[in-house]
Amino acid sequence: MAKSRMKRFVVTIALAAGLSSGGMAWADKWSEKYPIKEDIPGPASYEATSKKDYSGRTLTILTHAIPVMGEPTALHAKQFEELTGAKVKVVHVPFGDLFQKAMIPFQTGQAAYDVMFYGSLWIGDFHNYLAPVPGEYIGMPQMQDVTRNYKDVAIWEGRMIQFPVDGDRHYLKYRSDVINNPELRAKYKEKTGKDLRVPQTWKEYAEMARFFNILDCEGDGEKNYGSAEVVARDNLMFSAIISRVAPYAKHPDVKGGFFFDLETMEPLVNTPGWVEGVKDFVEAQDYMPPGGNNFGLGDEIFSFGGGQTLFSYSWDDAFIQAMEPKSRIRNLVGAAPLPGAHKVWNRKTGKWDKFETPNRAPYICWGWTSAVAKASKNKDMAFDYLAFFANPANHQSDLLVGRFGVNPYRTTDFDPKFYIKEAGWAPDVAKTYCATLSGMDKSRNRVFDLRVPGVNQYMSSLAAGVSKALAKQLTPQQAMDEVAAEWKKITERLGKDRVRKAYATVVALEDNLR
Amino acid sequence: MRILVYRGIKYLVLILWSAFVAGPFLWALSTSFKNDAAVVSGATYIPFVDFEPSLEGWEVLFKATEGVNIFGPYVSSLVVTLVSSLVSLALGTFAAYGLSRFTFRAGPLGNTDITFFFISQRIITPVVLAIPYFLLLKMFRLLDTHVGLIIIYIAMLMPIVVWIMVDFFNNISTELDEAALIDGCTPVEAFYKIILPECVPGLVVTGLLCFIFAWNDFFFAFTLTFADTQLLPVSIVALNSSKVPWWSLSSSSLIAILPLVFLAIWLERYLTRGALLGALK
Amino acid sequence: MIQSRYKYLFLFPGLFTLIAIIIFPLVFTFRLSFSSWDVVQPTLDFIGFDNYVRVFNDTRFWESLGTLGTVVFSVVSLEYVIGFALALLLWQDIEKNRFFRVLFIIPMMATPVIISVVWRTMFHETLGPINDLLSMIHLPAVPWLSKPTSALIAVILVDIWQWTSFVFILLLAGLLSLPHEPYEAAAMDGANRFQIFWHITFPMMAPITIGILIIRIIEASKIMETVYVLTSGGPGTSTETSAYYIFIRSLREFQIGYSSAMSIVYLLMMILALTLIAKGLTKGLVSKGGI
Repeated sequence: MAKSRMKRFVVTIALAAGLSSGGMAWADKWSEKYPIKEDIPGPASYEATSKKDYSGRTLTILTHAIPVMGEPTALHAKQFEELTGAKVKVVHVPFGDLFQKAMIPFQTGQAAYDVMFYGSLWIGDFHNYLAPVPGEYIGMPQMQDVTRNYKDVAIWEGRMIQFPVDGDRHYLKYRSDVINNPELRAKYKEKTGKDLRVPQTWKEYAEMARFFNILDCEGDGEKNYGSAEVVARDNLMFSAIISRVAPYAKHPDVKGGFFFDLETMEPLVNTPGWVEGVKDFVEAQDYMPPGGNNFGLGDEIFSFGGGQTLFSYSWDDAFIQAMEPKSRIRNLVGAAPLPGAHKVWNRKTGKWDKFETPNRAPYICWGWTSAVAKASKNKDMAFDYLAFFANPANHQSDLLVGRFGVNPYRTTDFDPKFYIKEAGWAPDVAKTYCATLSGMDKSRNRVFDLRVPGVNQYMSSLAAGVSKALAKQLTPQQAMDEVAAEWKKITERLGKDRVRKAYATVVALEDNLR
Repeated sequence: MRILVYRGIKYLVLILWSAFVAGPFLWALSTSFKNDAAVVSGATYIPFVDFEPSLEGWEVLFKATEGVNIFGPYVSSLVVTLVSSLVSLALGTFAAYGLSRFTFRAGPLGNTDITFFFISQRIITPVVLAIPYFLLLKMFRLLDTHVGLIIIYIAMLMPIVVWIMVDFFNNISTELDEAALIDGCTPVEAFYKIILPECVPGLVVTGLLCFIFAWNDFFFAFTLTFADTQLLPVSIVALNSSKVPWWSLSSSSLIAILPLVFLAIWLERYLTRGALLGALK
Repeated sequence: MIQSRYKYLFLFPGLFTLIAIIIFPLVFTFRLSFSSWDVVQPTLDFIGFDNYVRVFNDTRFWESLGTLGTVVFSVVSLEYVIGFALALLLWQDIEKNRFFRVLFIIPMMATPVIISVVWRTMFHETLGPINDLLSMIHLPAVPWLSKPTSALIAVILVDIWQWTSFVFILLLAGLLSLPHEPYEAAAMDGANRFQIFWHITFPMMAPITIGILIIRIIEASKIMETVYVLTSGGPGTSTETSAYYIFIRSLREFQIGYSSAMSIVYLLMMILALTLIAKGLTKGLVSKGGI
């Protein structure tokens, strides 16, 4: 009698132990092996992906150089290999050569890559070669959670052909320790009679940057400067100029185009709104660090992220650099929407309209996106890889590694608590960051890139013209007139209807017709 | 007195130029041990004195996912460079000898025109050849293969071989050839038994140049490959992300040049040996 | 010149291999120049001479040729003078000068794409060593890459740093191949260093000089990666060389047809220029006597 009770007792204990340890192993199994906090259940989770068997098949991925986007690609590729038995090859290419690396195989009909990571503004050139995202992936909770902006930039003529894996934007970054410093505030008020605060317009930005230029703001014996910007011509300057021009040229009540007048396809780049922004840019050279007018994105990151300048305003990278654990200006920076403008050009009336509250036109700047090639014979594997890459567990872990270059793009990403708790950010930094980023999503006056076929030609022409203005080879108006003339020729060459059709989709986004 | 002044100027010039030559490499060496903190505050030079050194720039060259594992690309580059250099050297030297010793006529075109034709292949900017070469290799299914690149490099290197070796052959009097022929050699034997040993300096230099140009080519290695064939310059450039990594590009510049330095040290002896022998004659 | 039926055996393997490899790309490029292959249409249509007309009206192209001319003239002449001087200093005293000879060859062995990045970090105006060292010896900081003139000088400097080795080693090889008799005779005649150089060495080196200058001009004209990394053709278009401009049009903008036409025009102009230069040099150097 006692023996059988003992047996039952032992079996019960054993079962209970087995169940509980099995239950614990369930949550730990993936996070033990991989750098995630825990596997979040879903159709593309570690668990789900491990059930897929792709052994014997090869996936080829084209991505950016290591580490920005390149490292997470390789990391998740290796994980995907282990989970599914597939062989994954990853090719890393610097951004400047990425377009050509993808386009030459496309144009020559060579099936080279299954998955590509690239700048989302090339959708106009690539769209014929991309496979639409199947409904089952769009329906996934992780995709539904993607914000409006980043779903919008993935869509072409009603179909999603790019797979969101990252969210990029331009926003203002500033040194909160300088802006909030009582001594410096007093000095500034004394000199200008105005309050030192986060600049609301580009003119204010210039005034403040000029004041602090060549000043030793930190008292460490090193000069500080006003603004670090991306100015090198064939680097990414075309995006920097759009940020500066947007509030002057994007009128909230004037619909029908920002780069072109949609109806006539007349370029708008030499209108007073644009020229005003270019003028600001030319004058900005006065408050850039030495060599600042040849800064590429890398230099900007070192400059602002290293504490050299007061302001910067392009992608996330400089901010993330400043917030790195070992950075000397960690938690001394803040994020804010791009400066606006008190006057906006109204092309319908041909006059400047005054705005008491500065006009804001958030630039939903292109960023990293991914896509699957139409010619790929491994589309199923490719989409599974991308869904796995972007699964919530991986995404959260990627967000915390600054050098990965993965930035928020899901509604759940904009919770300051995440950055305070997981990344150790100071509360106000996290709050300004999340508020700024989510605010851009809600705006009704957004500016998107010129997502048309031939975008590189337009942007290259824009950069060349602005560059001439910067070098004072031409006045801003002359330079932009040249750009407009070249843009007309480009449109003619590429086919006005083709460009107009594509531009109409951009305008639809900007005019909030979707 | 004059000799002392001359010697003083000589060594001044040599020291100055040496500093100029070595400068970037020393900077690269120092920078290869830096990280963010060591770069953003201003120029720093000596590890431990000016900045805290870090192995980031070197480690990233040997890791697979966080970096690029350059071992494979190193071997690929070696294979492609060696084969294309040796083939170009062989074919080119033969052709150069022919152009130097014999007369060719093709209508109004003669030897100098043919020689110029060779070197004119180097004029056209490589960038426009991207798609044509891509299509060429695609036709023969040689995209993303070592063989494909070797073929392209042969076309790239042969012109240089011909152009330089013709000059060197012209410097050798034809009496030597004639003497050899009279002695009963075939022209081919005369070529490699008698003439070739005379132009060792030229061969050494040309071989070195072939090796250098093939080893350091970025454009064709980049455009004509996908995932299977990775040459060294392409794999190094794969580290050039949004934030330019001063340290890993510095370390890789040093690693890339290393085999060539050894080659130079080895070949320099052959370059000057000929002169020694000549002096003894 | 020897006549022999063997002559074809020597020339043809190399010549035909080369032609076999390049014939299709060259013809295709030529064909492309008459098409409107662009980013939106990879097509081989025929548009006649439209692209060429565009090239002739393209001020940016002609400006880039001008910039190129300045750069090439500066670098080739300086590299020749410096290279020759170094070769002359080091071609004797075989053992003693070994270190310098090897050291001076090294720069051209650096991978251009990568070493240009290293140079860019050196030219960085606040974080780089060059301005830092200048300030240490109380010289003003130079706006290396941010002003047109200094940017051009920076590009020229990098090219000279890298390719003087090329001229150096070829001249060295040439000097080491020179016959000894004239020098022995000159020594007996009691000629001084300068006379020996001007009347013996220089004339005997004339053929290889021409060869080196031609090849350096060809290679220097293709300067692209240095410009790409250092200045992006800027400030404005002040350092934009032809190869760089063609790169922007062809692989950034994918105006394949147009850039092919530009390259053909560039090729023809270079051939013309080189023929004139070669003739000029041959006349100039031959008249110095000795060949």
